[in-house]
Amino acid sequence: MAKQIQEKGEKVLDFHKIAAIMQKNFIVLVRDKTRIIPLLLFPIFMITVFGFTSGNTPKHIPTAIVVADNSPLSQQLQQDIAGSDIFSIKRLVGTEAEAKKLLDSGTVRVIVEIPPGLGEDVESSQQASVTVIVDESDSSIAVTAQTTLSKIISVESNKIAAQKIISFQQAVGNAGGKLQAEIASQPDSYGVIAADTIAAQSLLVQSKQLTDRTSQALLLSIPPPAVYVVQSPSSANAKDTMNLTANSTYVEQSAAAGPTEAQAAIMQQSSSLVAAASANIGKATVIAAQADSQVKASKSEPAYSENVAVPLYAIHAFATADANTILRPLSYDQKPGYGTGKRPIDFLIPSIIALTIFQGAAMGMGRAVAGEKRDGSLTRVFLTPTSNATIIMGTIFFYVIFEMFRAAFLIGVSMLLFNIQIEGSILIIVLILMIFTGISISIGMILSSMVKTEQQYMGMAMLVSMPSMFLAGVFFPLQAMPKLLQLLAQILPITYAGEALRSVMIKGFGITGIISPLLILLLFLSVLLFTVFMVFKRDIE
Amino acid sequence: MKNIIEIKGLTKKFGNFTAVDRMNLNVREGEIFGFLGPNGAGKTTTISMLTTLIRPTAGEAKIAGHDLATEGVYIRGSIGVVPQTFALFPELTAQENLNYIGKLYGLSDSVIKERSNSLLKTVGLIEHRDRIAGVFSGGMKQRLSLAASIISNPKILFMDEPTTGLDPQSRIAIRELTEHLNKQGMTIVYTTHDMDEADKICDRITIMDNGRIIADGTSEELKEMVHSGYVLEVEVENETKHLIAELKALPYVAHLNQEANILTLTIKGKKDVFYSLSDFFKRRNCQVVEIRRKVPSLEDVFIHLTKKDLRD
Repeated sequence: MAKQIQEKGEKVLDFHKIAAIMQKNFIVLVRDKTRIIPLLLFPIFMITVFGFTSGNTPKHIPTAIVVADNSPLSQQLQQDIAGSDIFSIKRLVGTEAEAKKLLDSGTVRVIVEIPPGLGEDVESSQQASVTVIVDESDSSIAVTAQTTLSKIISVESNKIAAQKIISFQQAVGNAGGKLQAEIASQPDSYGVIAADTIAAQSLLVQSKQLTDRTSQALLLSIPPPAVYVVQSPSSANAKDTMNLTANSTYVEQSAAAGPTEAQAAIMQQSSSLVAAASANIGKATVIAAQADSQVKASKSEPAYSENVAVPLYAIHAFATADANTILRPLSYDQKPGYGTGKRPIDFLIPSIIALTIFQGAAMGMGRAVAGEKRDGSLTRVFLTPTSNATIIMGTIFFYVIFEMFRAAFLIGVSMLLFNIQIEGSILIIVLILMIFTGISISIGMILSSMVKTEQQYMGMAMLVSMPSMFLAGVFFPLQAMPKLLQLLAQILPITYAGEALRSVMIKGFGITGIISPLLILLLFLSVLLFTVFMVFKRDIE
Repeated sequence: MKNIIEIKGLTKKFGNFTAVDRMNLNVREGEIFGFLGPNGAGKTTTISMLTTLIRPTAGEAKIAGHDLATEGVYIRGSIGVVPQTFALFPELTAQENLNYIGKLYGLSDSVIKERSNSLLKTVGLIEHRDRIAGVFSGGMKQRLSLAASIISNPKILFMDEPTTGLDPQSRIAIRELTEHLNKQGMTIVYTTHDMDEADKICDRITIMDNGRIIADGTSEELKEMVHSGYVLEVEVENETKHLIAELKALPYVAHLNQEANILTLTIKGKKDVFYSLSDFFKRRNCQVVEIRRKVPSLEDVFIHLTKKDLRD
């Protein structure tokens, strides 16, 4: 063992020699410009991509709103969406079909549907829902849009619920006050029913307290990021609504504690409180009615009924309503943009295929051209009466076929492992892949004409492949990146290949649906092929 | 004999550097034509231009009757080239290499089969035909490269330093193969550093330096050209450093070189200076072991013409 480390007469570590080796490596590195440029640019690119993407949420997601209701609530919702910088409202349309067209063409990524009669439904204490349709192609956009919209809607819903409960609580207070005034003004007349009346009144007081807490809880839950949760002194008491209510305290917690869990706890709490309140009112109504009938039996005056029973009946609607309906007047409903049951992986596969082909074809050229340059076998080809076009096309045709097999293998594996469904035509997918492979190989050939060795080639290829890798939307959401990187993505062929593949594989589009990315890809192909013919020289200088 | 290669004013510049400067040269059909010159003389650049790998900056050339500027395809069809690198496909077997290269020459499968069979026999690789070329030794690779270069049965074969870096057996084999091909009528353009080799196999030799031809002719003509005098080697017993200045001052000594106890003197004219020289050493009490007359080698010619400084 020791012998392997140190031989006789040899220093284990000779720092002069270490320095010499370091110096030599430095000189080698600095001399090779084609390596040093990518080595320096790579970290800058990584920092830009990671720095701007991590923690950033997509912003200004193009959105269409289907406005079928013109109530103040509908206007409020539109204002809320427009006010958030997550969304940028591109179009207000009348029907879902119109909005769907915008989604298909990629003009918008999100549709918010405000259904007809939304305002009225909410007004009349019926549950209403706002439907959100999201293009899941870019999972980060989809997730951001969904969570933001569900938050906007639940905030609106809470506001409405809180207002309802406040107005109800005023009514309860009003009824309780009248009942108390009634007892005070005519103690003798109602002596017989005093006990009943007092019981009803105390129930109303309790109800008011409960609804107070409910509205407080709802209002408190609204402003993010501070979140309030109800802390119960002991979970054993949690079953007992009244106890829980009495001993509960509202505790402010940071958003990091989990806003959704905290909100859910508040909703649950509110729901128990509302249920208890409505039970109390139910009881109070029954008691008041009994007292009323007793009064009616002993006296002819209907004063009690008018003063107390009527307000009680007015709030009866609340008492009989479902707590859930009261607390969630507005709900968030989510529909998939394309097909049902599409998962993030479904949207990733097309981009992964495009990326695999690009990396494979572009890197393959390192061996095919730069490597053959190095070991001289390309010279051998140049020495034969074989035209440049023949050499170029022979290489391209091979890699196109090879990449088709690779793509087929990749699709096969993803079908097997992830149960991927292909909605569109296989032939169109093959067409897109063939064009894109041609583009990738052309890029590789252009790069290889600029270098002499495979190592230099790898450096150059990295310059092209890194942006494609990170801007393809596989690893990082493009919408969350700075404008400059978004513009850069616009000039990368992989952006269009990914878009066309997703449209066919997931959305099931035909050739007309992908005509614009397809034309752009063809333009790329012809320009790049032309460049290949221009730069591919026999001159081995 | 008719010229198979005719070169007029052929020039190649890389930026400011002139690699080949207005070269005029003819190669006769059926000869083995040697290209000699130190490193960087412009031999490989010339070969690359003549084999259409790089474009000349100026000048013209006719190769096997085809114009270099306009008929590259026909030229490639009538020549074979053994490049300095082996230029094989290391992942392919010997047979597959020949098949592929044969197809690029546009040969039919049956012709390739027949020719590769006889070529593999000629270069002694028939038993290794199904082994991949990447594992071959340097000598085997060079023989396969030679076979690949003549698969199309070219009129002219360019060989760019085909024996450099090979062991003596492989060199001899390549040399013999070259002569064998030449006997069958193939014109051969042969570049080498090995003067002996050039002396042995080349019918005519051109010496290049700094992009120009500085001499050409048969080996004998070249040797004649250099030495109007002759060379004597004097082996002495002891160190003779103190005598060098005196020796140089002798009227008949043109040049003197000392290596250990051997003095090489280039003598002016034809006059016999043997006795005069031995007398010189005797008078200075210097024991002479031997004085011998040296036959000029091509290397002497080469050194004489290109001077003895080192080249990049």
